[in-house]
Amino acid sequence: MEDLIVTRCSKVHRIYVLGGRGTCCSDDPRLPGGRHPLAEGGTSSPQSSTTTIPQQIVVEGDAKVDMVVLVYPGVNCDVKLDVHLVGEGAEANIYGAYVCGGDEKVKITVDMHHKVPHCNSRQLFKGIAGGRSRVDFYGKIIVAQDAQKTEAYQENHNILLSEDAKVDTKPQLEIYADDVKCSHGATIGRLNEEEQFYMRSRGISLEDAKVLQMISFIAPVLENIQDEAQRESIAAEFESDIRNIIRGL
Amino acid sequence: MSKEILDSIADKEYEHGFVTDVEQEFIPKGLNEDIIRLISAKKEEPEWMLEFRLEAFRRWQKMPLPKWAHLDIPEIDFQDIIYYAAPKKDADRPKEIDPELEKTFDKLGIPLHERAALAGVAVDAVFDSVSVTTTFRSALAEKGIIFCSFSEAVKEHPDLVRKYLASVVPVGDNFYAALNSAVFSDGSFVYIPKGVRCPMELSSYFRINAAGTGQFERTLIVADEGSYVSYMEGCTAPMRDENQLHAAVVEIIVEKDAEVKYSTVQNWYPGDKEGRGGIYNFVTKRGICKGSGSHLSWTQVETGSAITWKYPSTILKGDNSSSEFYSVAVTNNFQQADTGTKMIHIGRNTRSRIVSKGISAGRSQNSYRGLVKMLPGADNARNFSQCDSLLIGDRCGAHTFPYIENANKTAVVEHEATTSKISEDQLFYCNQRGICPEEAVGLIVNGYAREVLSKLPMEFAVEAQKLLQVSLEGSVG
Repeated sequence: MEDLIVTRCSKVHRIYVLGGRGTCCSDDPRLPGGRHPLAEGGTSSPQSSTTTIPQQIVVEGDAKVDMVVLVYPGVNCDVKLDVHLVGEGAEANIYGAYVCGGDEKVKITVDMHHKVPHCNSRQLFKGIAGGRSRVDFYGKIIVAQDAQKTEAYQENHNILLSEDAKVDTKPQLEIYADDVKCSHGATIGRLNEEEQFYMRSRGISLEDAKVLQMISFIAPVLENIQDEAQRESIAAEFESDIRNIIRGL
Repeated sequence: MSKEILDSIADKEYEHGFVTDVEQEFIPKGLNEDIIRLISAKKEEPEWMLEFRLEAFRRWQKMPLPKWAHLDIPEIDFQDIIYYAAPKKDADRPKEIDPELEKTFDKLGIPLHERAALAGVAVDAVFDSVSVTTTFRSALAEKGIIFCSFSEAVKEHPDLVRKYLASVVPVGDNFYAALNSAVFSDGSFVYIPKGVRCPMELSSYFRINAAGTGQFERTLIVADEGSYVSYMEGCTAPMRDENQLHAAVVEIIVEKDAEVKYSTVQNWYPGDKEGRGGIYNFVTKRGICKGSGSHLSWTQVETGSAITWKYPSTILKGDNSSSEFYSVAVTNNFQQADTGTKMIHIGRNTRSRIVSKGISAGRSQNSYRGLVKMLPGADNARNFSQCDSLLIGDRCGAHTFPYIENANKTAVVEHEATTSKISEDQLFYCNQRGICPEEAVGLIVNGYAREVLSKLPMEFAVEAQKLLQVSLEGSVG
């Protein structure tokens, strides 16, 4: 693993795909992405996946990094994102989606270090836990003493689908500067039954209604994939995976 | 807004910092089995109580100090503390309260005479290691309510004490709870019988006076089926350069359909501007909503103490039980606070709500730490948490550490937190209308904390509002 350094005034957009059918892509040809195609026929034993996510992400002044991390069903992973905003005007946007339907263990850790003033960061992680999966999210925003005018936001939302799935989330704020705007939000909940009723009363089957709900739940993450063709193929793959999970319920 | 104005606000003096000059008896410094036997003997305790203490002590000796909090705690020498100090009883008038003590509590605004007392509030006043008096005891006894010092309860109601003691906070729960179980001196015992609505507010007032001592009080509140009680707790200590340890344990048992409202205004001496002295407030408070439909509400205003380590928690065991936690924690100068709550949902349809408002000023560090746990059986359980932090000054810190665990697909947990400072716009708006910066900060802070303050019993709410302003004096800059 190496560090990713986003140099002054540059922009980097990266997508990391764990699992799935290998739709992974990245703007850096040296990064193959952790693609581990799921065995066709849907065996329930999860496959381990290593990630090629850089050990440290360092964002210099006026530079911007956008990252999307996608975790398909059947992947055990331990994703660590260690982001350092080291130059004024740096910006980091980290998005993530995970869908689990079996015995997966998904662990995501984000450390967002605001070391200098006038930096912005945003994190959005959304996930669905079914089967006997286990999701752990740990996200921390650390604002150093002199990092005034920081704006840092973090969100983690989860849907629990089954009795045996478990989600733990630990969003943390550690703030040592006063002129900042920081917030975090975390939820763990279920699919809204009123929405399902609305759709069913309009002739949409329960299965389709659930698929729609779940696809729209992770859509705010997928929206950040800039390439349209890629975005659509990833969304289609998530949709078919979600449908498989729902059929298995 | 100018630095000077902020500084002047942060400078306000601690007004309860005086020392009462009474003759006191102490036991030797240090902690060992003999000391525990001595405390137990002083309190004329039965054998089972001594055994309880000794077992706690043996377990405490094997326990490591907790290090996980976001606090910088200087090393505490547990052998350098006097574990028992009591004002000497005047042999001539054993039934009367020492006039000096009475004056002390008068000065603190806690009248010990029933005729002079605040209407509708019964007080148990604890001075160092002993309870001085409990007012309105007989009036309450008519309804079958027991409100007395813990030591009396051990003697007069041993069955109740034995049944409930350590049933919520086990002896070996944590380092400071074990220490308390070994050496606790006095505190309050409350028992509300079935179906009784307590007609007045019950209150305990804790005062540390003697130097070199620690206070280790123990409170046990039992609300039997269908009963209701509102209990308040207040505390102060003299200004000293040394750090004094206060390690209390509070246990609350709420039976079926009962309701307990527990309020605290914590105003221990916070240390001076350079961070010298102040109380170490390491407290374990926990309640259990044992029966279905029971309700427990925590409200706390934390302004004092050099270091606060406190997590009032609720175990929601009964179906349809509910709990609330409202907190305002203010830190200034070099104060440190790591406080929050735990909501453990076990029963079905259980509900909890957490509203925490942290305010940090000066060079203080203020953390919210909370756990919301949904166990697999907690069908349709619901939690909402909101934790806001307000920063005043650029050398303080505000932190939020929530832990959310959900293992039930029908349970819903929501958490949100924000951190911000008082905006220039808000201050400008007030200044424009002739409100000076200090007042404006007071106004904004009170507005920010209003949701919590409004949950306090009336007698406390006024005091708490004033306290907020005082605690922040000199912090605007």
